[in-house]
Amino acid sequence: MHLISAAGASPSLVLQLVVSGVVLGSFYALLGMSVSVIYSTTKVFHFAHAFVYTAAAYVALGTASVLGVPIVLAIVIGLIAAVVLGVTIELVVYRSMRRSGASSLGIFLASLGISIAGPNLIQIIFGPDGRNLPVGNPALYTVGTVTFTTWDIVTVVVSWALIGGVLAMRRSRWGLASIAVSANRELSAAVGISPQKIYVYAFAVGSLLIGSAAILFTLNQAATPNMGLQPVLFGFIATFLAGVGNQKTAPLAGFVLGMVVSLSGIWLSQTFQTAVIFGLLFVALIVRPQGIFRKAAV
Amino acid sequence: MEYYADIAIQIMFLMMLALSLNLLVGYTGETSMAQAAFYGIGAYTVGLLTMPVAVAGLEIATSSGVAGGAGWPFWPAVLISILVSAAVASAISIPALSRVRGEFLILMTLAFQLVTTQLMGSLTSITGGTFGLTPIPPMTLFGQSLIKPSQVVIVVGIATVLTFVFCYRLGESPFGRVLKGIREQETAVRAVGKGTVLPKVIVFGVAAGVAGLAGALNASYYQVAAPQSFNLDVSILAIAVVILGGVANPVGTVVAAILLGLLNPVLDALVGAEASAWRGVIYGLALVLVMRYRPQGLIPEHQGPLRFLRRRRRRNAAESAAPARSERDRVPGAAPTATDAAASRPAPEVVLSVEGMSKSFGGIKAVSDATFDLTRGQITALVGPNGAGKTTLFNLITNAITPDQGAVTLNGTSITGLSISEIARRGMARSFQDGRLFERLSALDNVAMAIPDQRAENPFILTVRPLYVQKRERAVRQSALECLQLVGMHADAETLVADLSYGDQKLVAIARLIATGADVLLLDEPTSGVDPSAVEHVIDVISDLRAAGKTICLVEHSVHMVERLADRAVFLDQGRVLAMGSMKELMARQDLKEIYFGA
Repeated sequence: MHLISAAGASPSLVLQLVVSGVVLGSFYALLGMSVSVIYSTTKVFHFAHAFVYTAAAYVALGTASVLGVPIVLAIVIGLIAAVVLGVTIELVVYRSMRRSGASSLGIFLASLGISIAGPNLIQIIFGPDGRNLPVGNPALYTVGTVTFTTWDIVTVVVSWALIGGVLAMRRSRWGLASIAVSANRELSAAVGISPQKIYVYAFAVGSLLIGSAAILFTLNQAATPNMGLQPVLFGFIATFLAGVGNQKTAPLAGFVLGMVVSLSGIWLSQTFQTAVIFGLLFVALIVRPQGIFRKAAV
Repeated sequence: MEYYADIAIQIMFLMMLALSLNLLVGYTGETSMAQAAFYGIGAYTVGLLTMPVAVAGLEIATSSGVAGGAGWPFWPAVLISILVSAAVASAISIPALSRVRGEFLILMTLAFQLVTTQLMGSLTSITGGTFGLTPIPPMTLFGQSLIKPSQVVIVVGIATVLTFVFCYRLGESPFGRVLKGIREQETAVRAVGKGTVLPKVIVFGVAAGVAGLAGALNASYYQVAAPQSFNLDVSILAIAVVILGGVANPVGTVVAAILLGLLNPVLDALVGAEASAWRGVIYGLALVLVMRYRPQGLIPEHQGPLRFLRRRRRRNAAESAAPARSERDRVPGAAPTATDAAASRPAPEVVLSVEGMSKSFGGIKAVSDATFDLTRGQITALVGPNGAGKTTLFNLITNAITPDQGAVTLNGTSITGLSISEIARRGMARSFQDGRLFERLSALDNVAMAIPDQRAENPFILTVRPLYVQKRERAVRQSALECLQLVGMHADAETLVADLSYGDQKLVAIARLIATGADVLLLDEPTSGVDPSAVEHVIDVISDLRAAGKTICLVEHSVHMVERLADRAVFLDQGRVLAMGSMKELMARQDLKEIYFGA
């Protein structure tokens, strides 16, 4: 184990890391968007998002490899499962807790309970070992000294397409209504917007995004029962770095996170990824508590 | 025998983690996801300190490839482990705890937990990697090594009992009262002149220190420290124990630790290798169900076997208190009638001056260039229609909202830009329109929170001078009771504020304001929502306060009340001061009347 990877970064290494940074950053941007859609609208610290992520991957690979469903269909089923699960958690757990006057800490703790029970249930069913989505190996492309795969391209394209879609939807009726609810729940209710419906909508969209992220991840790597924890943490970090409630900049913060993590590979080994992100969060909280892209609060 | 001792030890480790975490989660209302990380830091610290020193050229018997330790004796190493855990915790928590939103701490501790487990697994040359740091020397007592569970259980048992006593006493002490205040209404704790960041950082450090102790004992008992014993699952298990047992209730925590701790051996027997997964499912679901159907936990905060202690206290207080509300005490120093006092007063003296105060929210000028003074011993009312900026002005004066422009001078010294707690300490305190009382605390505790200069709230003094603290706390409770007597609420001193009527809550809020000892009192709608019979009562209390020489500024909608109480009124509309004068003069002006009544 080396603390410092190969000293003296060559230009080709840096270029490769920039390309990986774009891929990783796009993935984190998607995570940030997904968490932000839910958090900025509902203010629920939806930690069970980690379970939704895991569930999407396992439903897809379960239907594909156990039931033998064609892979594209299996992925669609996985995404549907993510949306259904996310919305169910909102309807069955959060909504009833909100009605009985639970604090946001209380709702978070319930969410934490789901995030621990769910993946363990998956482990009991599928076992603790990694499982792959049966998609075969991607094509490898080499441009100069930089290499990347089909899945890298898919990750970048799909992530930004989804993010663009969500941002474009902000102009729609539903989008405007969610912005209204996130700004002032009571006042929105007074002008005839149903916050309950908007919450369900936010959970549906957020779950679709996190499910897509899970599928993108399993194209490249094996799914494990605990796979959801780290991405959801990164999604939250992006959301908070962007400034709470700032949906537009959350993907940008995610992208920066991915870039920083990847480029830190010039000096640090991969195992320090989380440490780098933690450091970034720590410093950002001290120097820019209002969010990295926000002007100082007036 | 050894088997059962081992199970008992495991349960007691869980108890130590959860008891100390309860101080944070239950009493303070903040969540740490990193309790296991501090548990681990304690374990690795004791390991590195007690393992034998490496001798050059001689391979020592570490199966994990770690060169060696510092060769310390056991107990000094335990002490350092506690300190290291507590110090790391305090350092990482400060940026998150300086904020009111609890989510920052959750996020920060979650990230810290993951980083710590990852580093434990990857910094092989220090930690021994995934297989762990081993062999760590066993714990020693009076020169004897303790290896068998039946021996270790005694040491761990003593540590657990000490932890229980420590956490219980801290929680029920004046310091614990501040923590509960932070949980209920952090801004209100600041408004009565107390800082809230330091108590939060201290309690976070204490919780981590106890976890460090548990970790040190754990590592020397198992003679190994490995990452999987200190991962996020363990942190969440500790949270589940706290929630299940009942927040702010150490007895509940003990019961829940036994219940969840016994899951391990039972599941081992039932499902073997899948035990840990089943355990996760069970306590995860338990967490969801408890939060959904019984958020106060198995044994709620104000119940449980130890409640007789509180009952006794309650009875004592009730006996010493007079029964009837109407027998209200007069404010000390209050002259018989307010008018007499005002007449005999010398030339008016400006206590507070507000100059050019302005604040915009987006495009809306909430307050614009507001300038006025408060005179000693007078009641000044801020009047004006809804949305005139009266409450915002209070918020700007006390710096609860940072003004765009403007200066505030109190007794000749500038207080512009000072924090709300510092302003309260300098003698100006405010109440809130919505009360902001500490709902799950008694009326007496609500008021006691505001008594200034409480050295008994310092957890260090609390530990080293318990007798002094007891004496001081008696005095504080006595002063708090006197403040309640001034508003006629002493009979309800031990009632939880949540169980009081709205009008009574408003009176408790006034008592709390009086208890700060501040000379300048800002009252935000003291009678809104109070029934008419009690309004008279509030008017009497306020005029008594004036007679006692307090300077009062109040926001009030009732013209009747302003006419009866206020010496002077400042008329605000759309954030501007339109006029000043007696209420009669102002109401004689047709233009103002129209604005006020919307005619």
